Amino acid sequence: MEKEILRVENISKSFGGVKALENINLNIKEGEILCLVGENGSGKSTLIKIISGVYTADQGDIYINNHLYKKIKPIESIKQGIQVIYQDFSLFPNLSVAENLAINKQISSGKNIVNWKEFRQIAQRGLEDINVSLNLDAEVGSLSTADRQLIAISKAVMAEAKLIIMDEPTTALTQQEISSLFRIIFELKKQNISILFVSHKLNEITEIADRTIIFRNGRKVMDKNAKELSIESMEFHMTGRKLMSRNLQSSKDLSNVSPLLTVEKLTLGGKFNDISFDLKPGEVLGITGLLGSGRNELALSLYGVLPADSGSVRINCSDVNIRTIQEAKKLHIGYVPKDRIRDGIFLAQSIENNISANSIDRLINKFHLIDKQKKETLADKWINDFSIKTPSRKLAAFSLSGGNQQRVVLAKSLANEPILLILNSPTVGVDVGSKDEILNLIRDLANDGMGIILISDDIPEIIRTCDRIILMQNGKVKNIFLKEEINQEKLNNAMVGKY
Amino acid sequence: MFRKIYSANEFVTFIIILLISIFIGLINPAFFSIASIFDVLRSSIVYIILALGLLPVMIVGGIDISFVAIGALSAYSTHMLLINNGYEGGVFLYYIIACSIGIIASFLNSILTTKFNLNIFNVSLALYIMWFGFVRFFVGSKRSATFPEGASNFYSKFLLTVKDPFVGNSNLHISILFVVIIGLVLMLILRYTTFGRGIYAIGGDRDVALRTGFKVNRILTGSFIIMGGLAAFAGITHSFLIRLFDPTMFLGDELDVIAAVVLGGASINGGRGSVIGTFMGVIVIQLIHRSIILIGIPVTWQDFIVGFILIIFISIPYLKTIIKEKLVDKKVAHEETK
Amino acid sequence: MKKQNNVENGINDWNSIVNLIKNVIKTQTFLLLTALLILFLVFSIFEESFFTRRSITSMLFQLPEFGILSLAMMIPMMIGGDDLSIVSTANLSAILSGFFSVKVLPNILPEEYSIIYIGSIFLLSMIVGCITGLFNGILVGYIGANSILVTLSTLTFFTGISIGLTKGSVLIGLPESIGLIGSESILGIPISFLIFVVVSMVVFIILNHTPLGFKIRMMGTNQSASKFSGINNKKIIIKIFIISGILSSISGILIMSRTLSASYQYGASTYILLTILIGVLAGVVSGKGSVLNVFVSVLILQVISTGFHMMLVGIRGSSFFKDFIWGILLIVIFIINHYREKMKKLS
Repeated sequence: MEKEILRVENISKSFGGVKALENINLNIKEGEILCLVGENGSGKSTLIKIISGVYTADQGDIYINNHLYKKIKPIESIKQGIQVIYQDFSLFPNLSVAENLAINKQISSGKNIVNWKEFRQIAQRGLEDINVSLNLDAEVGSLSTADRQLIAISKAVMAEAKLIIMDEPTTALTQQEISSLFRIIFELKKQNISILFVSHKLNEITEIADRTIIFRNGRKVMDKNAKELSIESMEFHMTGRKLMSRNLQSSKDLSNVSPLLTVEKLTLGGKFNDISFDLKPGEVLGITGLLGSGRNELALSLYGVLPADSGSVRINCSDVNIRTIQEAKKLHIGYVPKDRIRDGIFLAQSIENNISANSIDRLINKFHLIDKQKKETLADKWINDFSIKTPSRKLAAFSLSGGNQQRVVLAKSLANEPILLILNSPTVGVDVGSKDEILNLIRDLANDGMGIILISDDIPEIIRTCDRIILMQNGKVKNIFLKEEINQEKLNNAMVGKY
Repeated sequence: MFRKIYSANEFVTFIIILLISIFIGLINPAFFSIASIFDVLRSSIVYIILALGLLPVMIVGGIDISFVAIGALSAYSTHMLLINNGYEGGVFLYYIIACSIGIIASFLNSILTTKFNLNIFNVSLALYIMWFGFVRFFVGSKRSATFPEGASNFYSKFLLTVKDPFVGNSNLHISILFVVIIGLVLMLILRYTTFGRGIYAIGGDRDVALRTGFKVNRILTGSFIIMGGLAAFAGITHSFLIRLFDPTMFLGDELDVIAAVVLGGASINGGRGSVIGTFMGVIVIQLIHRSIILIGIPVTWQDFIVGFILIIFISIPYLKTIIKEKLVDKKVAHEETK
Repeated sequence: MKKQNNVENGINDWNSIVNLIKNVIKTQTFLLLTALLILFLVFSIFEESFFTRRSITSMLFQLPEFGILSLAMMIPMMIGGDDLSIVSTANLSAILSGFFSVKVLPNILPEEYSIIYIGSIFLLSMIVGCITGLFNGILVGYIGANSILVTLSTLTFFTGISIGLTKGSVLIGLPESIGLIGSESILGIPISFLIFVVVSMVVFIILNHTPLGFKIRMMGTNQSASKFSGINNKKIIIKIFIISGILSSISGILIMSRTLSASYQYGASTYILLTILIGVLAGVVSGKGSVLNVFVSVLILQVISTGFHMMLVGIRGSSFFKDFIWGILLIVIFIINHYREKMKKLS
């Protein structure tokens, strides 16, 4: 009989009246790779925090190694062999690799004196156990994300983890690094260590998981062998509805229209090389590729954040040199950042202020003071046009859901009347309903004549919405797919290099 | 290995010391003498103790100015307490009582910072004013030069005496030994104890430190204890060396000490700093003061020069980053590119 | 439209009034005004000389100096920084314009032209404040250095210039006309207080009705989003410190006017703490700041200051006791704010 590492029964948790988890039952067997899938807000991270002791469930039981716990403290969870690898990897950037690896053991042993030779031995052994070699004296803050993740995994293994929980581990990795990671995960499986792998990248899940569990709105809706679930099936259960197959591409023939944006041999040392493409007004151009492809840097370059080293950019046939964000704004280029919370929205400010943020210099009266009327009208217009659900424009933005927040960020860019709009991963962290509406909005904007660049790693989304797709790899343009050539399989294959 | 030494902030500070020394020596060759070295060391002693006390708190990631007030409070109160009770013994009791007061006072810093999660600098600003007000109102505002019998010649207890052609006898007070011992002990603590590594860990990432299992509140309290205790120690040493107990001692000196610790390699954001670096940082500041006098700049313009140099020194690490960004690669600038 | 009956109308109106009152009470401004009232009453009851025309007028004469300094401190606080050099700037501008009024002006115009004297003093002073602000702004904005470190250093630097110029002594012998602002009143209200009110209104307009004020709030809320919204963070930082410098220099003039002298030492340790205390009391944090709250907080602190002074009169070293109380007060307010934030997060 296979041993169970973890079992939770009837776990429920609410936050101030909102049910985050409802009657969750699941288990993880020894040496099993379990994938936990779900949209944002489905309850995945809440469950993890309960298992690791950070939160306490309102009701339900937790069995770890067949011990019953109603409530568990983080230290206890760690002692029982549960290791969570967080997105910051729980590493100290100012300390060395050796120290980061050995520090947990030092703390748990309760020792007061530090023996540096022992630290190095422990560190060396830890790295060898997962077949990795790193410079023990390097400062962790100077290492790449992939290397830091390896250290985090090594730490977990050293702590005699029986269950390692990884939260979206492939977010910041290149294709090669993802392959390395998967190899290590299979190694761990051989050592009878269980892995709980949280992800939303459905194509990866089919590759690595033994079993897949799907959460939706705080409930478990699927628990099956990974092989038995297709990608469509997973999507259906995650979202609760069939994927909209309606095509959002333009039906217009744009071949005779003069281009809005022409990029020629654009180069930024170390990031992207020799990029050339054009964009017609009314067209939605998708740019995709894995991490390291340079797509993010290209977007930032067009917006003036990372000015290019060489090459030319023409807007409506005039040469431009975009070296600052202010210059980009003057040229009516808009940008919706990838990390909404960090770079896009002012959570503590009102919705009205958020929407006005890009346009404030225009919302003035003849005394050069802010024209309150103009500002309020602007905000109301966008709240209306985008159906932003809020009782008042004066409420703070943090009161909005992810989808509504994203609409506010979009409105902010649009309020400045851009002719070229660049969107970077605009539907991440957004509920399904809003995702659909946002993609529709993008198509509507294009139909009104705006040129749009959509950067995303969500293949279905790109295929649905874009008229053309540029695939970038290692800083270069690898393929340009036209409307007629686009389908999911081709794109997936091209991305992982099988062609 | 060699590369690590080159890039360390401590190395830069060391070079600065060499440069300034050569500069002074060129102007006044008498500088290259044992007497001068003793001179510099003497004026550094108290500052080094203060700076070493501040070091753990800065590594943890906070800026604090209350330590000077704690030093004044502890030293002056101890003196008043002993003198008014007819004490006639030696310095030992002074140190014991003062350090106890300093440590107890530091508990205010720790409680406010850990229990109420208040900002270290803000708390220190309030306590700075509070303690200086407290000591002058409740303990006394008069300076005192009366010393107990057993401690009256502490100031002249020298470790070394050297005959110098220019100034006659040049002396090195035994308190330099205190400095060396304190420095050594602190270095051992920072490098070889879990508590010490915890200080660096918290400075690196406080949340991760919590998750790893470090007893963050205890470590913070410990850092403040070191700060309070050493500030008191510095207060007593200072008062005995200048043979005067003044309740306003150290008032206004906090910036010099902070600058010294920063020059010695500590980062404003925490996570870095060393005992050796701090030693050197203090010496640099002292050399700057010295060279200003030697150049012949009138006393009234000294603050101007010191302020100016501080501005330059504080800008250096940031300038380094800016230059690195522009020349080497743009990787540093933007995390968006992930 | 469906007609509602009168009773329902009445209840709705009553409900909205109750809600309005509830919302007003929750505001910091209301709390502060209540505190002010209570303190005023308490001191008036316990100190007979408190609630007299003379004493109130004296308070109105004193508070503008640190009142304007509080406004100077407030603005950098709104982006999460500090300007600790405000007092040094105040003194430096006073000293420089003082020198000008003694050494240069008398050669150009006789003293009777007091308006021109006063005007040129103000102008020169504000130019100095502008330059010191620019200096701070470049260091913090373009070099990117921490504002506490920078302003601690520039504090020494500016004080150093002051000491150098005055050779450490107090600058006296200033033309009488300069003292007018600090000693005269219009309709019983001191001119300096009126200046404080006017300056407060100007700062209010800047912070609440201009694009600059808007950008300051946005930057204070989220620096990264502010950058991506096309706000030039570096320029805003420079403008913030320039305004702070100009405000400090105005305060310097007021000090000079009241004392008819200038010195590097005026207000050295006490004023800085006072302005930070006022900032915290008024609830000034990154992205949020109310001029009205700062104004009321200034009044509160003046009341406490005078009240204590009167109660402790005759006791030696009362200013030390006051320092002691200031320190404790600041800590108490920090703690109260801490619990208020906690309550807010839970709701």
